[in-house]
Amino acid sequence: MKRALLIVASAFILSACGPKAPPPPSAEQALALRPADARLSALYETSCHACHAIPGTGAPLVHDRAAWDGRYKRGEQVLLDHAIQGFNAMPATGQCATCTPDDFKALIRFMAGREDSAK
Amino acid sequence: MISRRGALIAGGAGATVVAGGGAAYLVATGDKPEPAAPASVDARGKLLWRNWSGVQHAYPAARLAPKDEGELAQILKTGQAPIRPVGAGHSFTALAPTDGTLVSLDVLSGIAGWEGDQAIVRTGTRLGALGPALAEKGRALANLPDINKQSLGGALSTATHGTGQTLQAMHGDVTALRLVTPSGHVIDADATRNPEVFQAARVSLGALGVITQARLRTSANRRLRRRVWLEPFEEALANAEARWAQHRNFEFYAVPFTGLAANISHDETDDPVLARGPDQDVEFLQALRGLRNLLGFATPLRKAAGRVLLSTAKPETAVDEGWKLLSTERPVRFNEMEFHLPVENQLKALQEVVATTEKERTDVFFPIEVRRIAADDAWLSPFNGGPRGSVAVHAYYRDDFSFLYQLIEPIFRRYDGRPHWGKLHSLNGGQLAAIYPRWKDFLAVRQELDPEGRMLNPYLKGLFGLS
Repeated sequence: MKRALLIVASAFILSACGPKAPPPPSAEQALALRPADARLSALYETSCHACHAIPGTGAPLVHDRAAWDGRYKRGEQVLLDHAIQGFNAMPATGQCATCTPDDFKALIRFMAGREDSAK
Repeated sequence: MISRRGALIAGGAGATVVAGGGAAYLVATGDKPEPAAPASVDARGKLLWRNWSGVQHAYPAARLAPKDEGELAQILKTGQAPIRPVGAGHSFTALAPTDGTLVSLDVLSGIAGWEGDQAIVRTGTRLGALGPALAEKGRALANLPDINKQSLGGALSTATHGTGQTLQAMHGDVTALRLVTPSGHVIDADATRNPEVFQAARVSLGALGVITQARLRTSANRRLRRRVWLEPFEEALANAEARWAQHRNFEFYAVPFTGLAANISHDETDDPVLARGPDQDVEFLQALRGLRNLLGFATPLRKAAGRVLLSTAKPETAVDEGWKLLSTERPVRFNEMEFHLPVENQLKALQEVVATTEKERTDVFFPIEVRRIAADDAWLSPFNGGPRGSVAVHAYYRDDFSFLYQLIEPIFRRYDGRPHWGKLHSLNGGQLAAIYPRWKDFLAVRQELDPEGRMLNPYLKGLFGLS
């Protein structure tokens, strides 16, 4: 019994010491952030940037893990469908008429601060 | 639109009413769920395209973004018809949907050059990006619509406009344009070169081919003083004409079920910048929606509460460059009908629209937008032949909007209105020929440039009376 309690306590301690979500970007940082890939960057700038790079638009801010993590946990397919179909304030396809599903996935990962899929 | 305080007070009132036993009514009349969405991919594996509000959709066989005019010409010649150009998808009418080829000009964007103070702008440029690009040269568009997410090509093609008694719609500042036709030819047009194409193409619904660039008159990039204030609707009506004459830009919103109106003016100033602050429109709309949900069963009570709650809002003032102030975010989606009326009919029509809405449709809560636009001479411009006053009625995107056709459009038509080309209306063929003196001339140019109808989707065939 004691051993089990120790294991649980250790798990809590390890959890508390685990990586914390980084702070959200400042307004200036959010405006300046771009995907590394040039094509993706162009798509982002034409479409997503207008809402996701500006605080206060209602859209989750780019690289704001606190705003994105709850959404991301719902699964990539759910986010992809919301991006393509539109959902609440999010207009369908983010007003990107030529983005492919892979483009949307990459853009979502970038905005959610999950470009490294291992995160 | 108004200060945060108004919205917060409305929210507090909502809580009080709920606590007082209104919860059952809230459950009965609260927000509808998110409308069912079409599948992301159809049976052929084609990806969904859907407009901003969600009422139009299609599964195009091809979605193409040409890198230059040569590639675009090839697409127009050989692509699967109907070929439809699309910008940001902000039109509520079915101008863009196609099962054939959807063409985006997103790659063909930015300023291509300058001729004096006139900018040659690629039409894939989003209006929100054009403001800062022009400002780098100390220039600006004379006016902007109240949303700036659209592409320049889409805005010009649908006669998109701002407000101001002396200011034309955006296409009024076009002095030349380049059109790639469905046969792949490139036509440069202005008032003297191919003048009939110029007059037809400035407002042409993407039906003559694809406009790749436009030469635009610009103005000095002046700072504007923006003022927003509420007052009783009757006072707004009484003062509107004087304010259109007084201010560079003036518009007002009639706020149904409150007896109030929100006025917005912009005037040139050399005063230092006074930042606009966070957008308040969402909170204002939430307050109005809360009043609808909680007190929609009793219009007198809803009006009294709305008047008390919203009249506490403080006026707002901001000073900044015009491109930063004239457009707003509008993150709450909606469907919209807007007609452009002879100015002498505008306010009479507005009063009927407000009275009818308050009598027949207690589910409506969006403010009704009232603007003024100067005349121009593009053949399909709603402002051809004289200035017009516009009245725009909105419905929350989750709400039924059939009342726009059943109740509102008949009022607009009785007052000789012309519909906004990108907003909901039911007019077509002979009805449009009767209110546009150059309608047949436009159709003749269309027939010459696109004899096979490669640019025509079912909606456009019906609109032009060709189906």
